[in-house]
Amino acid sequence: MTTDTRDMRNIQEDYSKDINEDIHWAKINEDVLRSMENPRMGYWIAVGVSLFLLSFAVIAEIYQYNTGMGPSNLNWPHMWDLYIATFVFWIGMSHSGTLLSAILHIIKADWRKPIYRFAEAMTTFSLMTAGLFPIIHLGRLWNMYWVIPYYSDRGIWPNFRSPLVWDAFAITTYLTSSALFLFVGMIPDLAICRDNAKGWRKKLYTALSLGWRGDDRQWRNFRKTYLLMACFLIPLAVSVHSIVSADFAMSIMPGWHVTTFPPYFVAGALYSGCAAIITLFILLRYFFRFEEYMTIAILEKTCKLTFAISMVWTYLLFIEFAATWYGPDAVDKELLIGKFTGPYSPLFITMIFLGSILPLTLAFEKFRRNIPMMFVVSLLLNVGMWLERYMIVTPTLSLSYEPFAQNVMWPSWVEWFILLGSFGWFGLLFLVFVKIFPSVSMYEVKEMIFHRRHLANKEIAAVMHRRLDDAEKKPSTTTPEPGLEGA
Amino acid sequence: MKKRAHVMALFSNFDEAFAAVAEIRYYRIPGLTVDDVNVISPIEHPEIEEFLGERESHVPKFTIMGALFGLSFGFFFLCTAQANFLVQPQGGKPVVPLPSNFVLTYEMLILFGVIATLIGFALGARLFKKRDSLYSESVSLDQVAIELHVDEKYMEPLKQLFTEHKALEIREAVA
Amino acid sequence: MSLQNLLQDWSRYRRGREEGGFHNYEHMWGMSIDLNLCIGCNACSVACYAENNLAVVGKDKYEKHQAMHWMRIERYWDEPDLGEGRVSEYQQHGASFLPMNCQQCNAATCEPVCPVAATYHTPDGLNAQVYNRCIGSRYCSNNCPYRLRYFNFYSYYEDSWPEPLNLQLNPDLSVRDKGVMEKCTFCIQRIRVAKDKAQREHRVLQDGEFTTACAQTCPTSAIVFGDMLKMYDPNSTNPSSKVIELWEKHQVELGVTEQEKHNPKIRGYRVLEHLNTDPCIMFLDRVREV
Repeated sequence: MTTDTRDMRNIQEDYSKDINEDIHWAKINEDVLRSMENPRMGYWIAVGVSLFLLSFAVIAEIYQYNTGMGPSNLNWPHMWDLYIATFVFWIGMSHSGTLLSAILHIIKADWRKPIYRFAEAMTTFSLMTAGLFPIIHLGRLWNMYWVIPYYSDRGIWPNFRSPLVWDAFAITTYLTSSALFLFVGMIPDLAICRDNAKGWRKKLYTALSLGWRGDDRQWRNFRKTYLLMACFLIPLAVSVHSIVSADFAMSIMPGWHVTTFPPYFVAGALYSGCAAIITLFILLRYFFRFEEYMTIAILEKTCKLTFAISMVWTYLLFIEFAATWYGPDAVDKELLIGKFTGPYSPLFITMIFLGSILPLTLAFEKFRRNIPMMFVVSLLLNVGMWLERYMIVTPTLSLSYEPFAQNVMWPSWVEWFILLGSFGWFGLLFLVFVKIFPSVSMYEVKEMIFHRRHLANKEIAAVMHRRLDDAEKKPSTTTPEPGLEGA
Repeated sequence: MKKRAHVMALFSNFDEAFAAVAEIRYYRIPGLTVDDVNVISPIEHPEIEEFLGERESHVPKFTIMGALFGLSFGFFFLCTAQANFLVQPQGGKPVVPLPSNFVLTYEMLILFGVIATLIGFALGARLFKKRDSLYSESVSLDQVAIELHVDEKYMEPLKQLFTEHKALEIREAVA
Repeated sequence: MSLQNLLQDWSRYRRGREEGGFHNYEHMWGMSIDLNLCIGCNACSVACYAENNLAVVGKDKYEKHQAMHWMRIERYWDEPDLGEGRVSEYQQHGASFLPMNCQQCNAATCEPVCPVAATYHTPDGLNAQVYNRCIGSRYCSNNCPYRLRYFNFYSYYEDSWPEPLNLQLNPDLSVRDKGVMEKCTFCIQRIRVAKDKAQREHRVLQDGEFTTACAQTCPTSAIVFGDMLKMYDPNSTNPSSKVIELWEKHQVELGVTEQEKHNPKIRGYRVLEHLNTDPCIMFLDRVREV
């Protein structure tokens, strides 16, 4: 292959293949390691934008810390509003990376391999963003450590009945586990980086690769560990978002006290997470010239998955409407009508459009293969999912049992700045990560190619899969093509 | 006293490397068994296990211990904390509320399960060891290596075997 | 933290299970508000501001719904339905008032959701709010169907009582800083003083010995406050009270979701009773003329 692959963008991709199986292993290393050195200009622009957005939030938070929650326009009874809505949004974003990676790992869908690394990083960083919101929204955030169960002479513990404490437990567990899952999956790649790096990077990777050398003992334990962690992470991720939904479902407020909230939230989380994977997929593909690894075929698969999940979400949304409409709770019904006709109705209807109708574009092959269009659609889907969270939190606060307390509130600049800043914070963490760590899993792409090739070649496959006990024939000495595995 | 030798051969062709292992398995070199062989590979492939035979991994034991610890410790910890918490009781409700404790215990189970799995991994995979002098960086790229710690007398037949199977490079060290 | 605490709590729990209920209540403070008598004069609200050091937030913040009225008079202007499109001649008769202060629910929705247990149920049957423990997660307010909890959105004390108004502050209770939730306490400082006095004099607390600021100020005596433990627990040695009389007269019971009424003309009800919050305030329905 003599053509410089960087110029291959103009060449029509083969949509039927997840990955080009003839790619040389050395080239995989080279491409991924290069991505950590010299990304496109767009990367630096993105870093700049992230820093800019983050500075907004820092200013707003300093102001809010010193003044109190008043300037954010929070009022009686709008005690939560954007902060908690955005918290749920980020928790939702965090759901796709690890959950999908773990599920696809268990069902042995190997197309996850080129994209799972950044998806898991997305999980970790959106959790780190989400975790900030319950802290920011506290009236006295300097006392936030009181939620942690620690022994105190005063005999005071947190209230273990409170869903907010469940949140604290669930998020701690989820953040720890998904960060470790990300890290464990990265160890062999860190060893590759260690073998190729210089300077401070060398020191960093040497420390982080934990002395990985790739012998069969390590791989054997690695495989078990990775599988076991994946098995833990699937129920964990489901439980985390169910617990977040418990913040609402455990209350007695109309529109919050909904039995179907846990599955609805989990579906919504997967949905927004998948949409975010598409966005970041397209961005990374562009920034780091990953056209050969993040292929259109894989993008299409992700889009199909998103489409399926969006339809599940839509179903659960309409189930909720139906349950309210035909149910006996008059206040709940009034709230539902209020959502469609009240002051928040434009947002609510936009949410239904973006969440349920727009994903229909994902059903068409022509659109799925159109990268700029998918970029816009995936962003809009996430706008829709953000609106969904906002429309869960705010209308209930606005219209609930006590008619005298009903009022309409729009967030002030403080809340908007912190919301924008959260995107900056997430973006910054993510961009720094993909610059320092390999965002495409090198060893697993090699594995993918190796296995696809070997399974395709029956003769080799027969040799590969000879069991220990069928030992009659001596191991084949068929001459394989030279340089089969690369260099 | 017999000297222990450390030998490592690098192959670019995986099938040749596996064939070499298979020959050791079939006692091409009397006295050496497949249990002496380590395969160092850039990728994870289950086929290696088929060639090398079943070798045990203790990670699941750590996992189950961690999970059980998380389960029992978590529940016990919550109950003790709640039972000691004098102002916590709220009109007519139990001191130790099972539904919320189940939720929290579930999280603790997973947390400790994951951490114990990792500890098991670090111990089982012998991480945190210095890489030896024979380690070749090309293994992290695209070559596969066969490594043995054997008596010195096996060195010659081994080298011959490796050369037969088109080894790119043979590294050795005598301790 | 000790084994002794643990065993004590456990035996309390066991006893609570057997006797139905958990607390060894010392009192159970309750209220009755007669809407027939309420003239919507807001005197109770003003008295509450004076008694409880409630911050006066000013017009701007009031418009943004950031005020701190623990006792609020709700005004509803719905017209009585006269049928056939007729309109009442007396517009002002359409207005009805509903004084709302914390309902001190026995199964309060605010309590279990607080992450740090800053709100809990006292042996006096009150929802206590511990300002020092509050971290301001505001979940309690979101989960209060009556919306009776108020949050310190600013450090209101900074400009609520400019000199020399600060001298009018009640020294018996604290002034709250930003980031803390607060709500009606049934004038817990008055309860404390009265209980201490009775204890010093070695006698039981008598009905009518003291009352809350709102009940004291109400010009029409629409608000009646007192101890209802005798009604909750017939074995109690606490004296009966005027509130119990009223509750019994209007056939409202504690601890039930739906009142069993024998006489449809009897006016007693509790707000949003069907949510099973078991509030300790009974309202007497207004009989309206059209």
